[in-house]
Amino acid sequence: MTALGRETLVSGSQAPWRRWARRHGWTIGVWVLLLALIAYYATLIPRFGAFQVASIVNNGSPLVFLAVAQAIIVIAGGIDLGVGGMLVLTSVTAARLMEGQPLVVGLVVAVAIIFAAGAINAGVGWIINVSKVPDIVITLGSLYFFQGLALAILPNPAGGANEWFRWLFTGSKTGIGSNPWPAIVMITITVTAIGWWLGKTRQGLSLYAVGSNKTAAYLSGLNAARVKVLSYAIGGGFAAMAGLANTAIAGRGNANTVGGNLTLNSVAAIVLGGVALTGGIGSVIAVVPAGLILFFLSPILTAMGVDPNSAQVVQGVLIVLVMMVTGIIEWRRRLRS
Amino acid sequence: MTSITQSLLAARDVAKRYGPVVALRSADLTVEPGEIHALLGANGAGKSTLVKILSAVIPADAGRISVHGKQANLRKPGDAMRAGIGTVFQDPALIPDLSLQQNLRISKLDRDDVLPWLERMNLGHIDLDLLAADVPLAVLRLLDLARALARDPQLLMLDEITAALTTDQAEYVFELMREWKARGRSVLFISHRLGEVLDSCDRATILRNGVHVAHLDLAGVEESALVTAMLGEELVEKVEAVGDEAAVVTAEEVESRPVVLELRDVHLRDRVNGVSLELHKGEILGLTALEGQGQNELFQVLSGDRRPTSGELRVEGERLNARSPYDAIRSGLAFVPADRHQALLPQRSVRENLSIPLYNRARRWLSLVGDEEQRVEQAVDRLTIDVRAGRQVQRLSGGNQQKVTIGRWLASGFDTLLCFDPTRGIDIQTKAQIYDLLREIAGGGSAVLLYTSELREIPLVCDRVLVMYAGRIVGELPAAAATEEALLTAAHGLNEGTAS
Repeated sequence: MTALGRETLVSGSQAPWRRWARRHGWTIGVWVLLLALIAYYATLIPRFGAFQVASIVNNGSPLVFLAVAQAIIVIAGGIDLGVGGMLVLTSVTAARLMEGQPLVVGLVVAVAIIFAAGAINAGVGWIINVSKVPDIVITLGSLYFFQGLALAILPNPAGGANEWFRWLFTGSKTGIGSNPWPAIVMITITVTAIGWWLGKTRQGLSLYAVGSNKTAAYLSGLNAARVKVLSYAIGGGFAAMAGLANTAIAGRGNANTVGGNLTLNSVAAIVLGGVALTGGIGSVIAVVPAGLILFFLSPILTAMGVDPNSAQVVQGVLIVLVMMVTGIIEWRRRLRS
Repeated sequence: MTSITQSLLAARDVAKRYGPVVALRSADLTVEPGEIHALLGANGAGKSTLVKILSAVIPADAGRISVHGKQANLRKPGDAMRAGIGTVFQDPALIPDLSLQQNLRISKLDRDDVLPWLERMNLGHIDLDLLAADVPLAVLRLLDLARALARDPQLLMLDEITAALTTDQAEYVFELMREWKARGRSVLFISHRLGEVLDSCDRATILRNGVHVAHLDLAGVEESALVTAMLGEELVEKVEAVGDEAAVVTAEEVESRPVVLELRDVHLRDRVNGVSLELHKGEILGLTALEGQGQNELFQVLSGDRRPTSGELRVEGERLNARSPYDAIRSGLAFVPADRHQALLPQRSVRENLSIPLYNRARRWLSLVGDEEQRVEQAVDRLTIDVRAGRQVQRLSGGNQQKVTIGRWLASGFDTLLCFDPTRGIDIQTKAQIYDLLREIAGGGSAVLLYTSELREIPLVCDRVLVMYAGRIVGELPAAAATEEALLTAAHGLNEGTAS
């Protein structure tokens, strides 16, 4: 036993806070980066206050929800190119059904849309299981399917939403204002709940297990197929949240929004959030600031006097840098072992 | 034959094929309550397939399985667990990215369930918050065992559990097996180490080519009788001949030959602490050590995978500063890892796998297709790989896969072969063929550095042997003096006074 370096295996060999810092270093880092960027932004513009914060949080919330959706699916070993299409589809459906309705009806519609989106995306997961075609291929199909369906439902930008429903996601009945709190509460509650479920419950851990090593998970008695369907269902639900937030912000639905771009943004956000595209690693808590940072880049660059068109260049460079950092961390870890 | 009704487990006429490959033709297995039953057979005989069927990981094509006399319909691993069958598989079933605690949770177990068992294996103080990826393989195997035991199975199936364990760790396993038996439960034990089997098992079922060929009572049975049953009469002679062919070269003779590979005071962090050695042309230099003494890291340095923190490597007198395996291979160092999955492209054909190293030379890229044919054919012949060379490598048995990893270097050429435990988990017959092959390679003037965990086989193949302990070479013995006892003493670092 001496041969195996026992000391390092014994409990208490590493201070708890150090281990915590090591395990959650990435999450802490992304939050710090977000706060640093906000602080920097505050020095760039003449007036920084509640309006600016609200603008970032409110307008960033669809991307945050979409990134959480993508994170859940990727952690379980899949990838869903269709989330962007799902956002557009749920957004236009909500705008069409909610137009001119009281809040209660709007809320019922919202809940129904979330569940329906979950069920439809569960079907996508089921098709992947049955057909054994890679996720990326099937969900490329679902992306086009959802986008097309959205156009059929609402060919031209139209529809509407109850003003209090808009307040729920934006803190303002007109969708624009200085109150970030409803959006913050909405994100905090849903993401904390799903983060707790993923990290602490047996069912949630099974997503990590299947994403990390499918064979070992199967041998441990887990049903890998069911886990995939579950991850796609929850991902679909969060994509619908993103769609609802989008409708609340815009006050109407627009099926001409390009779902594919939104999907790519969600993938960029989870990469920045430290979710391994190979599955099994990552935290939804880190995906929230990552989504906000990605959304936040273009206002910062504008404030810095950079051509907004080059914001995408910065985004691209950022993703590559992040991937390089993860590569270096992995390499150092290998050296140490 | 024992009546099915009273047996704990009875499998009848179990068959399984993967495409054109028959893994199990028709196998019977009966395990009685309160016995330790060995499942024996050469590689590819179908042992692991049978275990996977019994634990419902894969479905059988045909056959009946009954537990306690009742027909069992096992469709997924959970069914087998509920039926009282607990399995420790050949590959660890722990999720690398989850902590040990979380791993227990997903299998519906608590810390308290496994702790008593971990204590029995001297792992009572293990930190369950560690990620499984950070825990050494041997400990993972024991954790797997603790997890299986915690479910209190009627039948415990252990597939090659001792292969990755040190002697003292294996002893814990045997102790628990005996206890299980004393409680009237049963164990199905699979191992290639026949000594272990004879010491701890009561009865044995022997498979050959997917069919059971014998059900034996092991009391008073000789090892040779088991080997005969496993291989069939005609093959035994061939295997026994290996020892005779190992015409060991005398020390003086070796000394007089040129040195092809030299290490001077090589360090790698705290894992390799100043290794110096000389490898001569035409010799097989053995290296052995207990688990985790820096041998993995030493081979990583030799194969160009990692750079030493200090010290130097010399290949035929020239200093080698390898940045990657590519550099090492170009200087004639070819590496055969223990883990065949590391070296092979499982979904590609045998032919393609054999010719990978040929792709190295850019000037041959265009001529490759025509030229590879002949080299590959030669390698296949020499290795007696029993397949049509067009077949996917993942369909081969473990032993044949290992032959392919050696064979690729035969096809491309090399000066020094670095073998890291090439016979781990491989049956006797293939082992003999591999040792034959190594002797042949050395006879042809190449040098071989062979790390092996199977002490017994060192005198058969090696000319001399080095023993490593705590990152250093602590002993050198001529093959003739390399008895199991002498090697074990040195490997535990007990006679450091005589270190070279």
